[in-house]
Amino acid sequence: MEIEKLKEKLKELNQEYAKIKTIAVEERKAFGIEMNKKKQEILAKIKRAEEAAEDAKAEPLDITAPFDINSKKNEFKTRGSKHPLMTELDHVVDIYQAMGFNVMEPRQLDDEFHMFDSLNFSKGHPARDGYDTFRTSEGFIPIAHTSAMQNRALSAYKSRLENGGQIAVVIPGRVFRNEDVDPTHEHTFYQCEGIYVAKEANMGELLGIFKNFFETYYGQSLKIKTQPGYFPFTEPSFELLVEKPKSLGGKGDGWLELLGCGMIHPNVLKAAGIDSEHYKGFAWGGGIDRLVMMKYMLNDVRYFESGKLNFLEEF
Amino acid sequence: MLVSLNEIKKLVKIPAEVSTEELVKLIGSRLVEVEGTIDLSKKYKGIKIVEVVSCEAIPETHLHLCQINAGEKDLVQVVCGAPNVRKGMLAVWLRPGCIVPQTYGGENFELGVRKMRGHESNGMLAGLDEIDLGDDHSGIVEIDPKFAKAGDDFAEKFGLNDIILDIENKSLTHRPDTFGLIGFAREVAGILGIKFKEPTVKFGNLDITTTLSADELSENVSDAEKVWVEVEDTKLCPRYTAGVFEVSGAGLKNALEINEYLTLDDVFLAKAGMRKISKIVDATNITMLLTGQPLHAFDYDKFVKVGGLDEPKIVVRAAKKGEKLKLLDRKEIELVEKDDIVICSNETPVALAGAMGGEETEIDENTKKVILESATFSLIHERKMQMAHGIFSEAITRFTKGQPEAGTVPALARCAAMLLKTPKDIVDFEVSETFAEDDISVELYLKDINDLLGTKYTALEVTETLENVGFKVMSGEDDLIKVIAPNWRTDIHIKEDIIEEVGRLRGYDNIPMNLPLRPFIGADRNKLFDLKREIRGILSDRIGANEVLTYSFVSKDLQEKVGEDFSESYEIVNSISPELQVFRQSIIPSLIDKMYENIRSGYKDFTLYEFNQVTSKKLGLTEEKVPEIENHLALISTGDFYDAKNKLEELGKRLNLEFKLEENNVKEFPYFERVRSAKVMLSGETIGVVGEIKQRVLRGFKVKEAAGFEINLDEVVDVPRNIVKDLKLSKFPFVERDLTLKVKAEMEYGALEKAILEALGKEEKLVYKLAPVSIYQGIDKSSKNISFHISFSNTEKTLESSEISDIMKSIEKKTSGLGALTV
Repeated sequence: MEIEKLKEKLKELNQEYAKIKTIAVEERKAFGIEMNKKKQEILAKIKRAEEAAEDAKAEPLDITAPFDINSKKNEFKTRGSKHPLMTELDHVVDIYQAMGFNVMEPRQLDDEFHMFDSLNFSKGHPARDGYDTFRTSEGFIPIAHTSAMQNRALSAYKSRLENGGQIAVVIPGRVFRNEDVDPTHEHTFYQCEGIYVAKEANMGELLGIFKNFFETYYGQSLKIKTQPGYFPFTEPSFELLVEKPKSLGGKGDGWLELLGCGMIHPNVLKAAGIDSEHYKGFAWGGGIDRLVMMKYMLNDVRYFESGKLNFLEEF
Repeated sequence: MLVSLNEIKKLVKIPAEVSTEELVKLIGSRLVEVEGTIDLSKKYKGIKIVEVVSCEAIPETHLHLCQINAGEKDLVQVVCGAPNVRKGMLAVWLRPGCIVPQTYGGENFELGVRKMRGHESNGMLAGLDEIDLGDDHSGIVEIDPKFAKAGDDFAEKFGLNDIILDIENKSLTHRPDTFGLIGFAREVAGILGIKFKEPTVKFGNLDITTTLSADELSENVSDAEKVWVEVEDTKLCPRYTAGVFEVSGAGLKNALEINEYLTLDDVFLAKAGMRKISKIVDATNITMLLTGQPLHAFDYDKFVKVGGLDEPKIVVRAAKKGEKLKLLDRKEIELVEKDDIVICSNETPVALAGAMGGEETEIDENTKKVILESATFSLIHERKMQMAHGIFSEAITRFTKGQPEAGTVPALARCAAMLLKTPKDIVDFEVSETFAEDDISVELYLKDINDLLGTKYTALEVTETLENVGFKVMSGEDDLIKVIAPNWRTDIHIKEDIIEEVGRLRGYDNIPMNLPLRPFIGADRNKLFDLKREIRGILSDRIGANEVLTYSFVSKDLQEKVGEDFSESYEIVNSISPELQVFRQSIIPSLIDKMYENIRSGYKDFTLYEFNQVTSKKLGLTEEKVPEIENHLALISTGDFYDAKNKLEELGKRLNLEFKLEENNVKEFPYFERVRSAKVMLSGETIGVVGEIKQRVLRGFKVKEAAGFEINLDEVVDVPRNIVKDLKLSKFPFVERDLTLKVKAEMEYGALEKAILEALGKEEKLVYKLAPVSIYQGIDKSSKNISFHISFSNTEKTLESSEISDIMKSIEKKTSGLGALTV
């Protein structure tokens, strides 16, 4: 009924629009705009009404029943799959948890303060460009690194330091970079961040934790080495390389570049209200996607977010 | 950035026991990421310097038949087409078997012996482009007879038996000083544990070092001209220096003069990836490659003319609205107000500071006098200018790292020294202002270093390490160390910066590894993380669902298709992909979007699920003023309402949580068919919706049938689980009975089930199970038959037939109260 009325109105409107020829030329534009606005309103109303009419035709069902009338219960399939990135993340987190690290997941939409300011990126510094961040119209940032959670992790566990304990947290999560997607670049990927703060913390321990982690992860003893790097939130900063393990076809000569890390910059501790004169810490972050790609010899990162069953079924 | 090892070796004496391979490895582990190395000796192998002994034109061609002396027993015949080939000149000969350097690493073109117009030609005499040392193809390369002789090995003579390091610039973002060979070499000395000796250049009576001050230079120059330098904002331009010299004073015929011979300077430029242009420009570029400080040359008279004054007045300021500038590459650009820094002649912009000079003040053949600029600019502005105008030159790369102010004067002097005989040939020298040359000093204890690194370095080791690269170190009591940073180290501010220097230069790989000690406390569990893992196990292993990950950003079009209000979405404003417009409000639309392609690939019966974060403006902001987010679980399958419901119930059962379903009256998830879906309740809270997706929505995705659920896990994670479970076991036999009830069509299954369970519950010591068998409806649509399978047992005895029949009667009594007829 309503639809018919609306259609009738539309007809009338069209007739009225035909009068445009009789209107003074200078007023035609305004008239046209006004008429078109009305027309769009009616069309939208018709669309909504048609949708509502179709929705109303849907047959109600008994939500308390176990299955539909004259049908049987669907048996579950016996085999599904877990996403390889999630399985890997679980595996990584398990090792850190066994070492005593707590787990905090990052929030995917955050602000400038957590993404940059709290991490000692000075305002307008070109280093911020390197992260190719997405931004919302309100200025929020879909995080470009899991380090965006550092300030919250430090704040959340700060009281442990005062009681003579340590802050030991890993942050596994999804991050975003505003770049074109190709076989080796995704705008959406996963990282795992780690932070450790205590009265005494040094670089030897940072290296010790990595060696221990990767040896557990790959199930063999491994050499590690470093190369200098630059991150505003760590000082000293460096990158960590691990000997290519046998399980990935390593013969003791190749290296995998796996982590960026360093001793937490005093300004990052200060931003979380931690006295940097009395407490030291280290932090690191690495990508999860690459670990999985190496393991399954994947040459295209786009599989991960493809939602394709012929890929997912393999896991 | 390309760095020549030969040039480094000129500045640092590399100990004999350090092999080239070892050196590259050390640079990679202690200074900078080396992306690759290029061995030039292979590229220039076998190339000789030769004398053209005779040169005769081949009739009716542009070719010449040449006999050349390659320092070997016999002369060799080569056909050459270059216009400048002539008897007596020294040229570069690529003999048969040589790879043309221009093609090296690409097609690897190998020369041979071939006939040209009936004459045998052995290899070729090469042009500058063919030996990959320039772009010039107008003739063959000529070599100064004072510099070399016929038969000399070309690579050896021109320092091309060299290894070039391809440096990843990003890893030196904070070290502008290492963007010059001198700074780079200083670091190489440091990592080898050698004290670096600053190279000095004699310029008349003046010794040019990295510490040459403006006053020292001023005292030595002439003051014949009057250049005015005015910097409006020292934040934009911390220091501007300018020197003036006459082209004739540099002994040049004109300002564009180039060397007719191939020189070591040309090769020096080429090895850094640059090209020879003219003697003046080459001097500025070589100075930049050595010191890291870029320079620019203006035509003095043109500069004065643009300004409209009698003398040059150099003004450095931010660009104003609407200003335009025509650059050296002949493109006219619109200047960006406030962001662009411009060099002006009086009031008119003549150069984009640090990025590119302007056409109006370009040096040409008629240039009589040159203004040489050596200045530093705000790196933040340089970065903006780089992006806004797409200029990626060697110079701007250096400016975006923030060149040290103290480097401007020595660079200007060095460049002048390459062109002029004495400082007196600089006819004027001006500085924007004398900046405060405050030393940056940092105090720290030896313990600070060893505590942070986990090392046991001694004060002597630390002192040596720092002094090797130009720090001044003073020791105090209790191993207090006072470090004064050299003027080119703009990156040193706090004690951690010093600790990094010590750790890096001595080698992080030499730090002994250990593990932190911690008390025996278990790590906290993260409830949500664990819950997701638990659910993953249930859905993938018990229900046969496949976990997917889909993008957090969706298009407005997708949201509109499913009926979500995109004005409630957080909109991404800078995405380079048109598909990524808003942060999603729910996950199901992304999952529906993934169904069609899988169906098309032949999958008929499948279930997809995903965990992820969602948000919408409706949720508001947190205390931290960031968007509130929710952690959702979404599942979709190629089934109907009951299929989705069963999966949800199975999940609840395995999690020991009771999800209750009620009439769907929620506003979220508008794509569920309202009367064929239900809201999901847990502990009295609405946590989501389960049900079928609207047909009209599915049409938009080319999918016929889909049902699923989306629930908010934040509402699930803290709900206490009832882990006590009554397994309803009995040692006595179970009685099995089927019960079929005829009810009105509108009768809810749940009500009937509840009545039966209530009846069974009243019996003492009875354990029982109830399972649905069928729901049948025939032609008569006003009624339906519901069949149950009931099994029960008494926990203390075997039930007798009379007792069994009593129980069944009590059930029927209860159900008949609801109008059900036992069939």
